[in-house]
Amino acid sequence: MTRHTRILMSVIYWAFIVYLFVPLVLMVVMGFKDSKFIGFPIRGWTTEWYSGVMQDAEVMGVFAYSMAIALASTFLSLVIGTWVACFLGPYKFRGKLIVFAVTCLPAVIPGIISAIALRIFARGIDIEPGMLAIILGHTVHNVPFVALVVMARLSTLPRSHIEAARDLGADAIVAFFRVTLPYLRPALIGAGIFCMLLSFDDFVRAYFLGGYDPTLPVLIFAKLRSGMSPEINAIATVVLVLTAALGLWAERSMRRLNKGAS
Amino acid sequence: MRRPDRKINGMAHLESKYAEAPCAPAKPVRSGKAARRNFWGGLLANDTYQAVVDVLLKNERRQFWVLAAFPLAWVLFAHLGPVLQMFWISFLDSYPPTAGRQPQFTVDNWVAFFQEAIFVMPFLRTLVYSAVFTACTLILTYPVAYFLAKHVKRRNQLLFLLLLLIPFWVGEIVRTYAIMIMLGNNGALNLALKSIGLIDRPIPFMYTGFSMGVGIVYLTSLYMLLPLYSALEKIPNSYLEAAADLGAGSWHRFRKVTLPLSREGVASGCTLVFLISTGYYATPVLLGGPSTTVFAETIAGFFHVAGDKWPIGAAFASLMLITTLGLTGIFLKLMGRSGKGLMK
Repeated sequence: MTRHTRILMSVIYWAFIVYLFVPLVLMVVMGFKDSKFIGFPIRGWTTEWYSGVMQDAEVMGVFAYSMAIALASTFLSLVIGTWVACFLGPYKFRGKLIVFAVTCLPAVIPGIISAIALRIFARGIDIEPGMLAIILGHTVHNVPFVALVVMARLSTLPRSHIEAARDLGADAIVAFFRVTLPYLRPALIGAGIFCMLLSFDDFVRAYFLGGYDPTLPVLIFAKLRSGMSPEINAIATVVLVLTAALGLWAERSMRRLNKGAS
Repeated sequence: MRRPDRKINGMAHLESKYAEAPCAPAKPVRSGKAARRNFWGGLLANDTYQAVVDVLLKNERRQFWVLAAFPLAWVLFAHLGPVLQMFWISFLDSYPPTAGRQPQFTVDNWVAFFQEAIFVMPFLRTLVYSAVFTACTLILTYPVAYFLAKHVKRRNQLLFLLLLLIPFWVGEIVRTYAIMIMLGNNGALNLALKSIGLIDRPIPFMYTGFSMGVGIVYLTSLYMLLPLYSALEKIPNSYLEAAADLGAGSWHRFRKVTLPLSREGVASGCTLVFLISTGYYATPVLLGGPSTTVFAETIAGFFHVAGDKWPIGAAFASLMLITTLGLTGIFLKLMGRSGKGLMK
C-alpha cells in the first residue's frame, strides 16, 4: 500500500473518531453553561445543573427504577440464555437450525416492531404496562446475545473436563455447576454487562411497555419534547459516564475471556 | 433405590479429596470429626436429591428432554409468541377484546394501508431512507475498518477499536440529543461555519432528512464497522502482496481482492444497519420534521390512543416486518451468489 493511501486512511479514521466524540463532548460541556438557553457560544459557567440533578429526588428515583429493571432483566437473560446455549450448543437434533433462528429472532426484529409485538403480547398474558412488562421485554431482547456469547465460549470447553468430573462422581447437574459454569464465568460477566447496557439504554421498549413511571431514557425523551435545557445535559452526562464505565468494565472482562480461550 | 457402584466409589473419592483439603495442606484434619463434605458432596450424598436425579437423568433421551424442555418452551413462547400474536391480532376487528363481544376476522386492517397516502408514503420513505443511510454508513466506515484491520499494528488494534466502541455504549436518546446540540441553529456546526465566515445566518439543519441521517448514521455505524473489520482482518496480507507482485495497482487490488473477500462483512453489516435503522422511533421523532415522518411514527400513533386502533397498528407492524426481513433476505441471497461468482 502506498504512503499516500496510508496517510489518507489514518486521516479518515481520526476524522471518524472526532465525529463520534465531538457531539458527546459538546453535550457534557453544555451542562456547565450558566444559562437556561441551549446553544453556542457559552459565556458563563456553572456547576449548578449537575448539583441540581444530584439532589433531584425524581431523577434519582427514576435512576433507581432503571437500575432495578436492568439488574432483573440481566439476571433473567443470563439464566435463560445460558440454559438455551447449553441445549443448543452441544446437542444435534432435527430442526436445530430453526430453533437457533427463533432464538436469534428478537435480536434482528426492528426496535419499534419488537416493542409493539411485546406490548400486544404483555396485554395477551395480562401483564399491566410497567416494571414487569419492561423486564419481560428486555429479557426477551437480551437472551439471544447471552446465548450467542455463551455458545461461543461453550464450544471451547474441552469434553475431557466434564468427563473427568463425571468419573470423579459428579452427576450431570453437579458437573454443570462445578465445571461448566466456572468455565463460562468470563463470558457471563461480559454478556451480563452488555445486557445491563442494552437494558439501561433502551428507549423504545421501555416507552411502549412502561406505565406511568418512566425509565431514564424515557424521562430524558419526555423532557426533550418539552424543550432543551442544560438540566437534560446534566442528566444525560450522568447516564453517559455510567454507561461508559460499565462498557469499559465489560470490555476488560471480554478481553480476559479471549485470553483465556487462546 | 440402589445407586450404581461407580457413583459410590466416585463419591468416596470426592469426600476423601475434600477431607484432605489439598488447597490448605498445612492445616491438620480435625480429629474425631467425620470427614467434612462441602455443599456439592453433601448434595450428592443426599437421598432425596439422588432419587430426583435418578428419575430426571434416567437415560440419554430423558436427559435431553430435561435440558431441552425449558429452552424450547421459552423460545416458542417468548420469542415466537409475540410475533405470531401480532400477526393474529392484525386480522381481528377489535383488540383488546371488549366484554360480551367476540372479535371478528377481517382483512380490513391490511387493506387500510393501501388506501391512504399518509400510510404508504412514510412506509416507502422508511425503506428509501434506511437504504440510503445504510449506503452512507458503508461508505463512511469501510475506510475506517480497512485502516484498522490492515494499517494499524496488531498490538494497537484493540486500543484503536476501543476508541470506536466507547461512544456506542451510550444510549440512543443521549446520542440523539448530542446530535441535536451539534446541528441546532445555535449549534456547534453553525457556530463553526459562521466563525470561519462561510455563512452569515445559521443553516437550518434540524428537522430535516439530513439531521435524521446524521443521527441514524451516528447511531448505527458500529454495527457496520464490526462485521467489516472482522471480514477485512481475515484477508491474508499475502493475497494483496501477490496481487501487487503480479502488477495490480492499488485500485485494482481493492476491486479484485479486498472487496470480494470482504463481501461477507459488507452483507452482514448492511443487513444489521438496515434492520436497525428501520426500527428507530425516538431519533426520527426528535431529529426529523413533519416532512420526514417514518413508518415507526405511523405505527406508534395507533398505540398512543387507547383501544380499538391496535389491530391496524399490528397489521402495519407485520407488514413492515415482512418487508424488511424479505428485503434483507433477498439482499443476502444476491450478495452470497455474486460473491461466489466473483470468487471463481
